[in-house]
Amino acid sequence: MFAIRKGVSKFKFLIYVLPVIALISLIIYIPFFMSMAYSFTEWNGISREAKFIGFENFKNIFVSDSSFQSSAVFTLKYAVLFIIIINVLALLLAVMLDKKLYSTNILRAGFFIPYILSLVIVGFIWRFIFMQGFSALEKITGWNVFSWSWLGDVKLAFWSILIVSIWQSIGLYIVIYIAGLQSIPYELIEASIVDGAGSIKRFFKVTFPLLMPSITTCVFLSLTNSIKVFDVIVSLTGGGPGGATVSITYDIYKEAFQNNFYGYGTAKALLLFLAILVITLVQVTFFKSKEVEM
Amino acid sequence: MDKSKKSLIVLEIILIIVVAVFLYPIFLVLINSLKSFKGVMTNVIALPDSLHFENYTYVWKNINYPRLFLNNVIVTVTAILGIVGFCSIAGFMLSRTRSRLSWLLYIFCIAPMLIPFQTIMITLIKFLKIINLPNNVWGLGSLYWGFAAPTAIFMYHGFVKNVPQEIDESAIVDGASTLRMFFSIIFPLLKPVTSTIVIIDVMWIWNDFLLPLIFLDGAKETKTLTLAAYTFIGQYVTDWQYTMTAIVLAVVPSILFFIFMQKHIVKGVTAGAVKG
Repeated sequence: MFAIRKGVSKFKFLIYVLPVIALISLIIYIPFFMSMAYSFTEWNGISREAKFIGFENFKNIFVSDSSFQSSAVFTLKYAVLFIIIINVLALLLAVMLDKKLYSTNILRAGFFIPYILSLVIVGFIWRFIFMQGFSALEKITGWNVFSWSWLGDVKLAFWSILIVSIWQSIGLYIVIYIAGLQSIPYELIEASIVDGAGSIKRFFKVTFPLLMPSITTCVFLSLTNSIKVFDVIVSLTGGGPGGATVSITYDIYKEAFQNNFYGYGTAKALLLFLAILVITLVQVTFFKSKEVEM
Repeated sequence: MDKSKKSLIVLEIILIIVVAVFLYPIFLVLINSLKSFKGVMTNVIALPDSLHFENYTYVWKNINYPRLFLNNVIVTVTAILGIVGFCSIAGFMLSRTRSRLSWLLYIFCIAPMLIPFQTIMITLIKFLKIINLPNNVWGLGSLYWGFAAPTAIFMYHGFVKNVPQEIDESAIVDGASTLRMFFSIIFPLLKPVTSTIVIIDVMWIWNDFLLPLIFLDGAKETKTLTLAAYTFIGQYVTDWQYTMTAIVLAVVPSILFFIFMQKHIVKGVTAGAVKG
């Protein structure tokens, strides 16, 4: 009797877990394994049959696909600069906003507002600012920066996307860093003041190491978000000028849904997965090892 | 003492100026949405000399704003109800059952956190055609059940560990069925993690672009707000007064949501980022 009851309860949890298992399998795992299979085929999405061609797709990607290579370079450059700039700026602002100011709450809310907007819309807002707003600002200020072709020049278009993405999401990082700063016990700061550490030394020797968990979080977030950059490019530059701002995800999207090279697109998509997997694992192990115990 | 107070005031003034410049683009969009085409072209920065509310009536009708708003609500509510309903109890059960099988299933559930959406989007669309999931707002909402599940399970699983087990044991002794026990006793205790998940997922699903773009059939009635704004602005590229109006209409719900939920949102995204 006892054994049966135990056996029942041992598997009873399955009833409540199976719906989720089914959902995840249907929506994520099956398409994922299909991607693996289709990456070895030539498939245009319309014909029923996909033709098996072995590693041909992967070979082509590395050997003869200049659009993939330029999109990979763009994405890497973008990701590195995004991670560095947004984390430095957010940390700097968080330290300032953590001080006892009268308008702290309003200031924090101000920085956070763009984050709640959809990235596509943010791209459109800035397209207007770059195209119309800047020329008006130039008339008033006479500053040269406002007359530059921010969306038409290859180099500047890259920076436009970077600036706009940072503008949209910096609020999130500021908020995480502020939470991290507030979790540092004041006694530790006080002790370092008593020990005679100056404010800059105090920041790098006391605050910074204790902030490592927040830094891990923020670097991880900025990494995963920047490597998948898509929405803002679609509405801000559309990949232009001349394909200069096409990211990897945008390249995959174009390959499949505009050029109808579905098989080829899945091969690229699979490479994106492998790249993100490796980078994420390396990054998490590296930063975890830097955290200190409190 | 006096000196540090003075430098704080200087810092405060600088920060206020920085935030004002930071938000200036949004202000420009707002004032230009109320100008005529000529007004936008003559001076972007100037305030409108007369308020052209007809921009709003035009765009409101053209994109069928109430329908779009309803669509977004349907997608988001469908998604959230499913995510919370399925994942809270699954996360709880997986956390409470200590067996090899349960651990394996947990790993199975959270591993997809490492799979980017773009890796599966192409074959997902093909697969959904095979199983005939209707490509309307209801279908779209239910897709998020799968996409949001890994993170939600991960967060519920972690949170349940801190809920004392005596609570559910005593409820079972009292004779409550598992489902009733869960929703009347455990679920209220999970409120902090539930609200974190709801906040993060609402912000993501409400604003999501790529999945609606490739999944919905493109008919006007089935578009989401962001998608409709995207198509509208694509058609009216240089009619700046209309594109600005479409932008304002698209972002007003998010801004209102932020104003009323500010504390919860900030708390939610912070907790979500740290745990996720």
